[in-house]
Amino acid sequence: MIRFDQVGKRYPNGHVGLHELSFHVQRGEFLFVTGHSGAGKSTLLRLLLAMERPTSGKLLLAGQDLSRITNAQIPFLRRQIGVVFQNHQLLFDRTVFDNVALPLQILGLNKREIGQRVMTALERVSLKDKALQYPADLSTGQQQRVGIARAVVHRPALLLADEPTGNLDPRLAAEIMGVFEDINRLGTTVLIASHDLALIARMRHRMLTLQRGRLIGDGEAGR
Amino acid sequence: MSASRKSDPKANPSTAERVGGSVKKVEAKHDEPDFRTLFHAWLESHRASLVDSLGRLLKQPIGSFFTCLVMAVALSLPMGLALLLDNVERLGGSWQRAAQISVFLRLDVDAAAGQRLREEIAALPDVAEAQWISREAALEEFQQLSGIGEALRELPDNPLPGSVLVTPREIDKDKLEALRQTLAGMPGVEQAQLDLLWVERLTAILKLGDRFVFGLTLLLVATLLLVIGNTIRLHIENRRTEIEVVKLVGGTDGYVRRPFLYMGAIYGLGAGLIAWALLAYGLGWLNEAVVRLAGLYGSDFGLAGVPSGDAVSLVVGAVLLGYIGAWLAVARHLSELAPR
Repeated sequence: MIRFDQVGKRYPNGHVGLHELSFHVQRGEFLFVTGHSGAGKSTLLRLLLAMERPTSGKLLLAGQDLSRITNAQIPFLRRQIGVVFQNHQLLFDRTVFDNVALPLQILGLNKREIGQRVMTALERVSLKDKALQYPADLSTGQQQRVGIARAVVHRPALLLADEPTGNLDPRLAAEIMGVFEDINRLGTTVLIASHDLALIARMRHRMLTLQRGRLIGDGEAGR
Repeated sequence: MSASRKSDPKANPSTAERVGGSVKKVEAKHDEPDFRTLFHAWLESHRASLVDSLGRLLKQPIGSFFTCLVMAVALSLPMGLALLLDNVERLGGSWQRAAQISVFLRLDVDAAAGQRLREEIAALPDVAEAQWISREAALEEFQQLSGIGEALRELPDNPLPGSVLVTPREIDKDKLEALRQTLAGMPGVEQAQLDLLWVERLTAILKLGDRFVFGLTLLLVATLLLVIGNTIRLHIENRRTEIEVVKLVGGTDGYVRRPFLYMGAIYGLGAGLIAWALLAYGLGWLNEAVVRLAGLYGSDFGLAGVPSGDAVSLVVGAVLLGYIGAWLAVARHLSELAPR
């Protein structure tokens, strides 16, 4: 699914985001990327989303070389990916339903199918009854779950999450992680960037550890 | 450092049923869409963009109206001036009349020969119309206009020659002079007279007017593009988060651009319609005074309204300008809208 082959990222100001990173991820895997602030977690996610390009090495996502991807291809790549942000990135002038429907509207699905898929996704995160409410009326945990519903509603092959539990209390964080595991059970590859080591250790999935842009650990969390 | 690992297959039928999905569905999701699906997607995207843009403008009716009004004023100024120039041309008579050539025949040329000559002149390619004026008709007109009719009646013979009044097809100084020389060389012609100075002055005045209107149009079109560009830029700024999210979930540049293009076109449509109304009302209002003034000179002249063809061109042009202005604004800002 994902293959990093000696991938490096150096910014124009000389800062090195990633040093010759190499690993690969199988389809259907669930893994964490952890490390302190500035370790390179966000850079890694930005490379996978083609928000940035590697300055060296080769990065393959579902067989597509992201080092050589054209600007016109990027939107179509992103349609295979779902993204969950720490700050949700919800649109507060739209209802929960409309927020979740956005990726499907971009795909141009008809209203009936959009309605069905949105309600399925909201049911998946236990927010079916909040469809017509606005994000501002929801709790932080519920907002995060709306973000997750939006990320999976178009059935992406890969789900990326950047500190998805950063603003949540431990109980809510565990609940959100449960949702990610449910999604993973359906075959979606899940990659979560997080520095919540206690939570990661409890889940016993594969964990990549980054430090100053280098991969210093790759193994099952909690061992 | 390299590593690889495959997670355990943990598919749980009960969980899958609860969330309403299946592994098979996930596997099938990357099938290439057929043409019908793509076309429907494209159509649906346009419909949604149009409805969304219209809704956003209607949510701020006063702001939207004033933007349209500013654009309408910019549009109606050159259009109004052009229409006034048209009316001035109509008032002063046609161009052709101003450039008529009077061909005076010799006194010994009789009416029948004069008529034949008129037909000969009318057949020339550069001539639009040729009118025969007999010696008698010329004398009668002169008696009426000169104010010395009684004195003229005392003359033993009619001193005025027969003439042909020639209306050229084209107003061009060189061509008119060439035509005048041709006419002067025809048999029976004493003199061919063209008031070129008058033609040149009239041409220069109207060319100046046209150039002024053209320059003003260019200036105001640029203003209009700036107004629409700035308005769209503000809309883009207000929707920055939305645009970033749309791009992150796979929206193309075209998808991002579309609602703003519709917005520009809608602004243009509103501006075109308001400009039309302003011109129609403005000319009507001015016409009352013009009719009163013309009446004092014994004329029934009145200003013509906005011709329907010009009105349609105005509205279509405004829509296009709105669209182009929006396109330029989005093109300029799209690169800054990359997700952060």
